[in-house]
Amino acid sequence: MRNCKDKLFEFQTADGFNAMKGNVITMEKSKIRTLANLITESAGEYGSNIFIKEIKGGEVAETTFAGFYENVRRVAGYIQKKKAEFGEMPSGKQLHGAVIGPSSSNWLTAWFGLAASGNVAVPLDAGLSCEDICDLLNRADVSIFFYDKLYEKMIPAVKENCPNVREYVCLADIYEVTGECEPIELPKISPSELAAIVYTSGTTGKSKGVMLLQSNYIDNTMCQDNESSPEDVVMSVLPIHHIYCFTCDILCSLRYGANLCFNDSMLHITKNLQVYKPTLMLIVPMIAETIYKQICAAHKTKPEIPVAAIAQNVFGGRLKTIYSGGAYLRPELQRAYLDMGFNMAQGYGMTECSPRISTADPNDKECAGDVGVIVNGAAVKTEDGEIMVKSPSVMAGYYKDEAETAAALTPDGWLRTGDLGYVDDKNRIFITGRKKNLIILSNGENVSPEELENKFAGREIIGEVLVYSDEGIIAAEIFPSPEASKSLSAEEIDEKIKEAVNDVNKSVSSSKKIHRIRVRENEFPKTTSKKIKRNGAPEGRIIG
Amino acid sequence: MLEKLKGIIVNYVDVDPEKITPEARFIEDLGFNSYDFMSMLGDIETEFGITVDEAQVADVHTVGEAIKYFEELQG
Repeated sequence: MRNCKDKLFEFQTADGFNAMKGNVITMEKSKIRTLANLITESAGEYGSNIFIKEIKGGEVAETTFAGFYENVRRVAGYIQKKKAEFGEMPSGKQLHGAVIGPSSSNWLTAWFGLAASGNVAVPLDAGLSCEDICDLLNRADVSIFFYDKLYEKMIPAVKENCPNVREYVCLADIYEVTGECEPIELPKISPSELAAIVYTSGTTGKSKGVMLLQSNYIDNTMCQDNESSPEDVVMSVLPIHHIYCFTCDILCSLRYGANLCFNDSMLHITKNLQVYKPTLMLIVPMIAETIYKQICAAHKTKPEIPVAAIAQNVFGGRLKTIYSGGAYLRPELQRAYLDMGFNMAQGYGMTECSPRISTADPNDKECAGDVGVIVNGAAVKTEDGEIMVKSPSVMAGYYKDEAETAAALTPDGWLRTGDLGYVDDKNRIFITGRKKNLIILSNGENVSPEELENKFAGREIIGEVLVYSDEGIIAAEIFPSPEASKSLSAEEIDEKIKEAVNDVNKSVSSSKKIHRIRVRENEFPKTTSKKIKRNGAPEGRIIG
Repeated sequence: MLEKLKGIIVNYVDVDPEKITPEARFIEDLGFNSYDFMSMLGDIETEFGITVDEAQVADVHTVGEAIKYFEELQG
């Protein structure tokens, strides 16, 4: 493997070069330049096939591709009518509409009603507080707010704090509200028009509104081939506002004609696996970890049944491929899933890149610790160790935030990812840490906290770990694994943690060694996407 | 209720059933992660024929609190 760390280089794949020049690879792709094209073509191609399955009132409800298209055109008609009524809007010529709620066909219809009619969708994180919702509605210049019934109680407060929001539509009533509008022919939209503003949750600082164009979404949906087919059943378990779910679950299902099944709650993943029997899933490592534990526990009680058979049964009996993203996937866990007979791969991306930068070949069994191969159409280079990306998927900038846009995008269009890493000679990306989290030592050497944190993966006693600079020295703050520590005394827990830190220290150069250990009593505070917040004050007793 | 709950909990974590007391905390004492907990609630819905409100379970930390909440739902 050629280690290209800290070395400036650049490459493009052959396909990537064509795509970047604006060429197309197939006739089918040439028809699809906007989100309106995507749903129009999918309705034409897969019409009476089932696009969405969801649980409604305890029953599975179905929407065909053609039915979804019809619903979107009706909501688009309503949005165009409102736009004409509103006249001048703070957002300018395009109407901005926000959508909040768990995954549902109505949520998706509202999103497409906005973006496929040449307006702008603002998907909001369903876990936000009322205060944060109001802040984003105001910052994104939203005029129409589509909300799930779960948020009904918040609406009076939103009305009080968001004077620019002119219409409120409960998603449960969306067809009653829009019923008087005729479905419209979706207007011709320029691929360079703004399609959505997606707020990033971020582990540090204020959330930023990522402006994604029609062409960004389409490029990222089309950048790979043969990922699924109309025979596939995709069970969508990730939050719908999240770009990883949106592009890879939803837009790709529209492209390939796959059947998209919405999990109705995190409570019901296990149950719904048996209802939908998916063939393909996108998950985050935490879900992979828990299901793996359950499989192991079941195997322990029935050792006569092969672990692969138990695993297939847990996943509904038809699952072939699992994509993991959103956080670091331990190579050991990836290997365990491969050994159970699944194709398992992890990809890498960020909201600013719609999101895919690299995607793994699920047939790659090497588990080298990479985050996949660079997608077609993207060019990647490193500068001072930081991964930089240029592709038609890269955002237009942050909404009304020139300073942050200038910090993220170079004048010639390279996106600074903020991630440290390198690319090997197989075009695979390896991530070593986050640039903004770098610890700069007094000798000028940089230490990536994530590189050290990842070395704790798989050690039983470590529940959660955060590495940072504490009064100028490298410190590890650790929340012991409750499961591993439940039968241990406090002294024994401390001893095991010290052993783990010593092991990690043995594997790194002297300047990167951890010299302070703090033990927390509680889990770390997390963002709504369950990532540890890095900007809290040091906490916990010092044990070493 | 406690005995039935014990039977479900041990499917999720490798814990001595004796340690599953009303005072035991799911995360700190029994070793649940947040997805284990949500998944277990799904099993409880099926077992007891109730519908759990995700917002309300944010206040449930111990086995005793869970039992109280489930009994309230059962009426």
